[in-house]
Amino acid sequence: MRTNTVISIAKKEIMDNIRNKWIILVSVMFALLTLVISYFGSLGSSGWKDLGITISGMTQLGSFLISIVAFMLGYAAIIGEIERGSMSALLSLSTTRFEITVGKLLGLGAVLCTTILIGFGVAGLIIGLNVPNVDFIEYLVFIGITMIFGLVFLSLSLFFSTVFSKRSTALGGAIFLWFLFNIILPIILVGILATTIDFSTTLMDTTLVIPDWYHMANLFNPISVYSSLITMTIGPVQSNIDAGLIENPAWYTPSLLLGVLLAWIFVFFALAIWRFHLKDI
Amino acid sequence: MATQLVKCSRCKTIITIAGKPGDKLNLTCPQCNQKGVFTFPKEKIIQPLPGNLATIEVSNLTKTYNDFTAVNNISFHVKKGEIFGFLGPNGAGKTTTIKAMLDLLHADQGTIHLSGIDVRKHGKEAKKHVGYMPEKVAFYDNLTALQNLEFYAEIKHVSKEECPSLIKEFGLADAGKKRVGTFSKGMVQRLGMARAILGNPPILILDEPSGGLDPRGVVQIRDKIREMKKKGTTIFVSSHILSEIQEICDRVGIINKGILVAQDTVDGLRKKLSLKPQLTVTVDSLSTKIENAVRNLPGVDRVTAQQNTLEIICDGALKAKVILAITNAGGSIQNLQTKEPTLEEVFMRYTEA
Repeated sequence: MRTNTVISIAKKEIMDNIRNKWIILVSVMFALLTLVISYFGSLGSSGWKDLGITISGMTQLGSFLISIVAFMLGYAAIIGEIERGSMSALLSLSTTRFEITVGKLLGLGAVLCTTILIGFGVAGLIIGLNVPNVDFIEYLVFIGITMIFGLVFLSLSLFFSTVFSKRSTALGGAIFLWFLFNIILPIILVGILATTIDFSTTLMDTTLVIPDWYHMANLFNPISVYSSLITMTIGPVQSNIDAGLIENPAWYTPSLLLGVLLAWIFVFFALAIWRFHLKDI
Repeated sequence: MATQLVKCSRCKTIITIAGKPGDKLNLTCPQCNQKGVFTFPKEKIIQPLPGNLATIEVSNLTKTYNDFTAVNNISFHVKKGEIFGFLGPNGAGKTTTIKAMLDLLHADQGTIHLSGIDVRKHGKEAKKHVGYMPEKVAFYDNLTALQNLEFYAEIKHVSKEECPSLIKEFGLADAGKKRVGTFSKGMVQRLGMARAILGNPPILILDEPSGGLDPRGVVQIRDKIREMKKKGTTIFVSSHILSEIQEICDRVGIINKGILVAQDTVDGLRKKLSLKPQLTVTVDSLSTKIENAVRNLPGVDRVTAQQNTLEIICDGALKAKVILAITNAGGSIQNLQTKEPTLEEVFMRYTEA
């Protein structure tokens, strides 16, 4: 593998997305939404808690939005080029499918991370100027976790881009997956949870004991993993939870959750490379 | 021990050297005595032998899609510096063959060597020798023509300096800074040819290069193909514009329903099918006597009379006898034309159901 081939492909992806004004548009959208959440979230309260509330508000909204943004970036990355015809030209050169996939993940990943950094970063600075005692380190941790979360969906969408033989089917698949992780899975899991918990005993208690299977099932939904990870690692959000409603099992640690997110990226990226190798262009 | 071709930095002479990976050699150019040091790359070197450079060798290539055999056990070779025309009706398997040659799709069976390097085993190395123009030329629409070409130059590991002059050469100088998305089909097609010849590859593979071009564009591409041949480039060109192939190709292969039905020079194919030329003779006044005199000549296949003109299909060598027969029968020849059978006729004959 020649690294400069990978870098050339990554650079091209970045240039392409800058030229179609993608980065600017999505960054502005992220910044505006963060500010809106911060402004309405901080009404009637003050201090660092406000950024905490902003983060917990953004965790929900961010998981909706960033998963969409990552899907839009990635679903056509491979199949779109095959359909348009530019992939055959690219692969006729001295490149391999592996280099192309790595280059695409790096390039599109950089676009996604820059968007998150600019969008959330600018908003964070504005909030920081208006609210005293802001812990910027924790805010950066939040941004970092959000980037990793975005990469999970990018990796997933790259995989989708190699599975289907049409761009439109890949888009359909991505939309279905978005609904699955954001809406269908949580509803099913909460539904099962609600019917299996014995509320007569738990209601007496201040702590709601969530069974292990629920936590395990949630590991298969990157959105749940992301929101749990934010809740457990960011101080201010943590303090909301510390009031004592939910207790997590001992094995359900931030490092496990981070590992799961990284595993999602790696597994689907490997699957994307494998599928692309089998594909006829 | 491996061999490697190196280019003299001063006079560009190609020198073959031998050594082991990691070896450091002091070299002197046999032409200009320029001195230099060459270190063999550590990884395994896959380099063509000088004799294999710029050749194409396809053996027993088969590609099936579910039950459909798109390409059925075809074999051919193209020599260095030759233009090979690849003909066939739509859906005959031309593009499938070309894509398999570049490892864009996985062949079920067969071997493909470009410059003597096995494409299926060492695709990355083999493809260094190729410039390809796909049937469906596409670029990155958000980028300009120049940005697009520079990107491909980076991937090809060739100098970007060539890009602006290439754009100019293909009549795109004014559009060089415009997004390719705004280009007409003809402009995209010309840029596609520029991309293929970028870096002067020893082999060119062109899939229907004239599709979507106006007559001037067609001529431009044809001239470019001739120019590349002069430089010693091996060219594999598929086309349905038969007259064009006839003009520029040294040899042609005809593919029909996935089978390579013929492979020869245009003349050779004509001879194999014993397609005879057509003589068109105009006389001052045509009579049945003249017509019969020609018809009765041995070696004349068909005679059609129209007003004062006779259309005669016969062996080329019979021309003098035909003239004599007409004159002897009392005809006075006003005009005489010979038309060789076109590749079109050869093609139609080979691809008949």
